[in-house]
Amino acid sequence: MPFAEDPAHLSKSRLKSDLVAHNVALPSAASKKAVYVELHLKHIDQKNAADFSSDEEDRADDKKDAEMPVPSCLTDEDLKAMLRKHGVKPGPITASTRVLYERKLHKLLQSDRRERLNEADKAVLYSDSEEEKKQQEKDQDSGSEKQPDPSDQTQKESSQNHVFYPQCFLPSSRLRPCPPRNTESSSNWNSRNALKSSERSQSQCSQIISTSTADHHTGLGSTVLPRSKSTDDSSLSSQYFSITQMVEEMENSSSRSVTDNACEFNGTSVQENWAQSDRPPQEPVKDAFKDILPGSKTTPTGIYVTRRRPIKGAAQRPVQYSYPDSPVSPMTQQRREVERYLVPIHIQILVFIIVACVLYLIYVNVEGSLSYWSYGEDRLLVQAESQDAEADYAQD
Amino acid sequence: MSSTSQKHKDFVAEPMGEKPVMALAGIGEVLGKRLEDKGFDKAYVVLGQFLVLKKDEELFRDWLKDTCGANVKQQGDCYGCLKEWCDAFL
Repeated sequence: MPFAEDPAHLSKSRLKSDLVAHNVALPSAASKKAVYVELHLKHIDQKNAADFSSDEEDRADDKKDAEMPVPSCLTDEDLKAMLRKHGVKPGPITASTRVLYERKLHKLLQSDRRERLNEADKAVLYSDSEEEKKQQEKDQDSGSEKQPDPSDQTQKESSQNHVFYPQCFLPSSRLRPCPPRNTESSSNWNSRNALKSSERSQSQCSQIISTSTADHHTGLGSTVLPRSKSTDDSSLSSQYFSITQMVEEMENSSSRSVTDNACEFNGTSVQENWAQSDRPPQEPVKDAFKDILPGSKTTPTGIYVTRRRPIKGAAQRPVQYSYPDSPVSPMTQQRREVERYLVPIHIQILVFIIVACVLYLIYVNVEGSLSYWSYGEDRLLVQAESQDAEADYAQD
Repeated sequence: MSSTSQKHKDFVAEPMGEKPVMALAGIGEVLGKRLEDKGFDKAYVVLGQFLVLKKDEELFRDWLKDTCGANVKQQGDCYGCLKEWCDAFL
């Protein structure tokens, strides 16, 4: 072998895996490294001396094995060490538990491999998009049309990027300084840089918006400002931010033509609708069903089924021939209940009239009799006096 | 959270003592027989395995599946039963 690959320099696990790779019987698990080294020297070095050409392949395989050791070939301690590397604190590895821990390690190794592949893919993606960005920058410099191109480019960028990155639309010439900064910032494809760049661009755009709204002097502008500020605070507000910008763009274009207050109010409602309507498309279909059927369990096939309404007149329910009265509001129901105890109004009025009549008659009679009485009283008085006088005469 | 069965409540109510393995929630006659054949004839032996696995849910479920072929619900019931017993008495 060209390199001085003394078996003594290799780790015990590496020796083990080498032996397994060369179909050598492993010694007992508790044996010392020296035993492994001996075996390694015996069998493997002989083989290597024999065929030199396959050395590189073997080494590649050995290296692979060293990187991804087979869980079943590890000793208990090695298995424990590997598990601890992955953040798992295993209990005692006994006969009954060993299999379970080996399986767990296997899963962890597989997930590691997947992560590495994903990272590699992402790196590839980023490199591709970097190249495209450079091309776009060149086009931008050379291109004469500034307004539509930057907006298109930023739109393309936004479509290519994850939704995370800012989507800065450019309504007017005032916002020209935005795109070059934006492209420069977003060319850094690190997630942290992207965060910072998004914040930077958002702050820039917010400044620009503030100037534009101040210029337009619309009531809408004042309402938009606080919203843009509030959205700046949140890191994931790039979507909403872009929508407000977009609508503002519409607003600006429309406000020049129409300056009615009604239009502005419509704009606010439209803006709200746009901001709200953009959310459902962002959240994919999977939430739609959950909103409709919050209580339903998820099914493996993704098919949601609701129980059909039972047919009327089914066997389980008796057929109703007479249906209750038309639905009544609770107020009328209360009134009806109360009225049961009280005397009805008509009867009350009747009674009132009767009593009134009676009283009137009495009054009339009394009045009549009163006048008679008053007249009569004088007579009576006179008669009384005369009688008295007669009485007095009689007595005398 | 799903409600617990009467078996669960009965098991968790008192120290398991010498209760058979079929007293565990989720372990019926068939599974109990399989466990007994493997040597887990008392509930405390299964408890021992549960503790050796450091009360880890995933590992215990895997072990149960391997040993007696319990399905997901049975695994969950047994794990929950033992966990609650440990919380109360251990």
